[in-house]
Amino acid sequence: MKLSLKWLSDFIDLSGLTTEEIVERMVKCGFEVEEITYLSHATGLVVGKVIECENHPDSDHLHITKVDVGNEVLDIVCGAPNCRKDLKVIVAKTGAELPEITIKKSVIRGQESNGMLCSLKELGVAEDLLPADSPSHNGIEELDDRFEIGDTDILDKLGYDDTILDVSIYANRPDCLSMYGMAKEMGAILSREVKLPQFEGASDIGRASDFRLRSDSVNCPHFLAKVVNHVEIKESPEWMQRHLRSNGIKCINNLVDISNYVMLETGQPLHFYDLRSIPNKEITVKDDYLGPYMALDGIEYQLEKGDLIISSEGKPIGIAGIMGGDNTKILDDTSSLIIEAALFDNAQIRRTSNRLGLQTEAAARFSKGLEPLCQKKAVDRAVQLLIELADASDIEETVEYGKADYQPYEISETLTHLNSLIGKSYAMDEVLSVMKDLDFPTRTEGESFHVSIPSYRSTDLKIREDLDEEIIRLTDFDDLQATLPLIPQTVGKLSPIQRIRRIVRTILISNGFYDTVNYTLVSADYMKEKLLPFGEDVSLLSPLSDARRYIRSSLMMSLLEALNYNLDHHNDDVSLFEISKVYSSNGEQERLGIIMQGDFLDQKLEHVHLKSDFYVLKGLLYELLEAMGFASGRIQLKTNEFDTTHFHPYQSAELTFDNHTIAIFGKLHPSFLKAHKLDDVYYAEMILDDLAKTEPAKVRAAVLSRYPSVSRDISLMLKEDIPASDLLKQIRKTGGKIVKNCEVFDVYQGEHIDKGFKSVSLNIIYEDREKTLTTEDVNDVHEKIVNELIRRFEAVQR
Amino acid sequence: MLDHETLKNEALKAISEADSRILEELRIAYLSKKGKIQELMSQMKELPKEEKPAFGQMVNDLKRVISEAIDARKEELESSSLNDRLASEKIDITLDAYRPAYGAMHPLNLVWKELEDIFIGMGYNVAEGPELESDLYNFTKANTPEGHPARDMQDTFYVDPTHLLRSQTTAIQMRVLEAQADHLPIKVICPGKVYRRDDDDATHSHQFMQCEGLVIGENITLADLKGTLELMIRELFDDDAKIRFRPSYFPFTEPSFEVDMTCHICKGKGCPTCKGTGWIEILGSGMVHPNVLEMANIDSKKYTGFAFGVGIERLAMLKYGISDIRDFYTNNIRFLDVYKR
Repeated sequence: MKLSLKWLSDFIDLSGLTTEEIVERMVKCGFEVEEITYLSHATGLVVGKVIECENHPDSDHLHITKVDVGNEVLDIVCGAPNCRKDLKVIVAKTGAELPEITIKKSVIRGQESNGMLCSLKELGVAEDLLPADSPSHNGIEELDDRFEIGDTDILDKLGYDDTILDVSIYANRPDCLSMYGMAKEMGAILSREVKLPQFEGASDIGRASDFRLRSDSVNCPHFLAKVVNHVEIKESPEWMQRHLRSNGIKCINNLVDISNYVMLETGQPLHFYDLRSIPNKEITVKDDYLGPYMALDGIEYQLEKGDLIISSEGKPIGIAGIMGGDNTKILDDTSSLIIEAALFDNAQIRRTSNRLGLQTEAAARFSKGLEPLCQKKAVDRAVQLLIELADASDIEETVEYGKADYQPYEISETLTHLNSLIGKSYAMDEVLSVMKDLDFPTRTEGESFHVSIPSYRSTDLKIREDLDEEIIRLTDFDDLQATLPLIPQTVGKLSPIQRIRRIVRTILISNGFYDTVNYTLVSADYMKEKLLPFGEDVSLLSPLSDARRYIRSSLMMSLLEALNYNLDHHNDDVSLFEISKVYSSNGEQERLGIIMQGDFLDQKLEHVHLKSDFYVLKGLLYELLEAMGFASGRIQLKTNEFDTTHFHPYQSAELTFDNHTIAIFGKLHPSFLKAHKLDDVYYAEMILDDLAKTEPAKVRAAVLSRYPSVSRDISLMLKEDIPASDLLKQIRKTGGKIVKNCEVFDVYQGEHIDKGFKSVSLNIIYEDREKTLTTEDVNDVHEKIVNELIRRFEAVQR
Repeated sequence: MLDHETLKNEALKAISEADSRILEELRIAYLSKKGKIQELMSQMKELPKEEKPAFGQMVNDLKRVISEAIDARKEELESSSLNDRLASEKIDITLDAYRPAYGAMHPLNLVWKELEDIFIGMGYNVAEGPELESDLYNFTKANTPEGHPARDMQDTFYVDPTHLLRSQTTAIQMRVLEAQADHLPIKVICPGKVYRRDDDDATHSHQFMQCEGLVIGENITLADLKGTLELMIRELFDDDAKIRFRPSYFPFTEPSFEVDMTCHICKGKGCPTCKGTGWIEILGSGMVHPNVLEMANIDSKKYTGFAFGVGIERLAMLKYGISDIRDFYTNNIRFLDVYKR
């Protein structure tokens, strides 16, 4: 909303207030001022008359002038083409400050110059705020007889001493999208009296009308039309043009200007039709038209069912609430017209306006909602102005469809409730003072107060808390004390999934991984690469772009993108992870994605070098699960059988937890990586939901044996495809409970080992909780184990 | 006859100059069974009886002195040889041969965690909800009925006529209200990702994170909201930070406020970060609208509450001085690396 302080001062006495003070009060009361624009910026101006004007001898465009400014005559060199003798001009004397320069005494091509003759543009007036025929477009401003030599109030007289505030209006205050509404609000903010023009009932005149009006749409519940059989078309007065221009509205003629002006004043968009274009005197609002329509901007719009249109004889004559039609608009020779003031559903206007990309002043106001009595007010004001400025006569009575939907009402509140909600102690006189500033009639009853809400605030003020907000916002509020809620104590704690996220982050970060956040919306290409799929793809009805059309169902492609981004930016050896929800038609899953490439550890000076590989990833996953409280016994490792498109078929695996697949991990398939210009990447994706739903095992103290343990190694040569886990299982099975621990510490293939075979070295720790094991005790069991391994796995002891 | 005084002086001198090999030789030379002390002792038998005790005493004293001198010298030699060995083991302490591999938390998740910790410390729980949400929770129950401008297709990402990527974590609040209507009071924060139809640029992102807070109970006041937010801001930014309320509008709170904090860079004096005002707009808040409580079957005459919502990106950008919101989503590890903490 553009608020002209000069226009505002027609309604409120702003004397004694600086612009800064006004803005500060507005901000405190909930109106942000986005920009302050001064229409002009100049000091040291005086009206002068050119009494001599000669061409400069050394220039083809400069004039040497003598200018009478009342108390002296100044020699001034001027370059404007329209500079001539007897012209009344704006003189910026030496010392004058203009937006671009400060005027100094100077010598121009040998001629002394003691000031400057000015164009309004040089005084800071924007080009589009100048009247179309203003001499200032191409030269100096030419002043008329209103100005006397020596006058200094030039900008004031021209109406350019204005300041425009760009005020942002919250969605609950459509009343402030009108000058009258804003004036009422400013009266309350500044605690000053507001005087609005009187025009109530101005349209209650006219002879009987045979104009027919109807709405076939529930989205147009109220419509007023009024035929004016005679108007004189001409230019509108300068004050009106100025107000329109300062609101960025082009001036056309008095008729069009009045319709726009009344909209700015009352907030109700009006439309005037040339009566000649509606000869059968019938208008119907419809919402079932389908097809192209040419609006008055000369552009053809494709209308759909639901869009509100104004029609006559079944043919559209305007896009309701947005833009009139080309065939019914006011022309240069219009001599009679129809005034339209209607209420259209805000959501529907917004839909149509957004779809057509047609953002007009009218559409903006309808979209935000109108005050219920606005239509009548606007017609009243329009009739008053048409009579005053367009010699309107032969007026017909107003034709009305529907009714304005407003019943006067009161809101009741008590001081007790007000103060208990706020935590302050307002007294009744403070409340009454706010209601007086708002101009809301209020009666009191003990500690209760009952407030009558005027129609223009009825869209916003409905319940007692709404009144409370008015009181807070219009009183000084910075001294509100800071307290904490006095309610029964509660214990705050993390939920299981929140606890799991923290465990994962702590462990992975401690192992050199970086936590990432990626976009949820991805392209169709990303969706093609499914990982642990759990339903159909979910896509947006109207995406911003194809790259952000789908809601991702896996984290892999996002992490590959992040990895690639890092490699492109010369970050090598990248280990990343992300914890995020993913979606399918079957709902959501929370997943962990881990990606690694290059060295996992590289401490050159320490000669420690560990490349990222399957085992690093596997170890991390087991570590994570153990830290979450899930012993490796509950986790089953399985050969990856269902995704060999993305994963290396022989270096990948699945993890199941209580018989559900919860993770897939391993080396990514070289063919898949090739398409992404990558090589040697390891990836894991784990579903966290089941883990979060499962109670982790309770911590139990370790039982330590008081007797020493014995360590023995075995080296076996056996077929290469026998998994290590089978050997370990067999050792525990054969050895029984004195096998405290067993592990593989070396696997070797190559020289001295036949092809197809491997050498595996194992270590077994024997321990008994009851006694010290003798050499014989250990030898017996160990020998049994070795023999069993040799027999079952066709192994040879080395 | 050996002069014991001479013997003593010779011995002590030799010991004080001996290295460890010579010291061993000296020990044998003086203290062994065939050593000089023994030799001296053997002279005793030739002495008259009355002189024997004094002589014996003298020789024993001499033996003790030499023996102590040898021990002392031995200790001295050992200590100096250890020092030599240590000196020979000197390393260059300026080398960084080993750095434990340590990654970093994403700054958005770091701020998220900080918020969790601050509010858990005050007895709040951390509630979450689906990002793919029904418009019932995202809008209707948040007092944003159909036809409200905020529901527009232009502003949000719908996947079907009634479901969308949530545009505000308010949706979580509405779920909590419904689930806990019979278990008051409520004290939760609701962090999560949200989505809006914005073209990505330095200050806009179609995806971002919010954290909302909700307290419902008896006699909850606006002053309680102020106190709670002041505490949060002080924990996040600055122990002396102050906040102020500016009236605003949100459909689900009444009255509603924008909250400004004193600029953490200039402490309120005015600087480029706060555009000279000394204040920075930080979040939106208000008292929960009675309609919202009633829709969740909570008696709005008995219970009141406050709600607030803050942008996690905004907090992180202010806290760490990040100027481009897109930096959060490229995951360059050099950007992430500074958040090792």
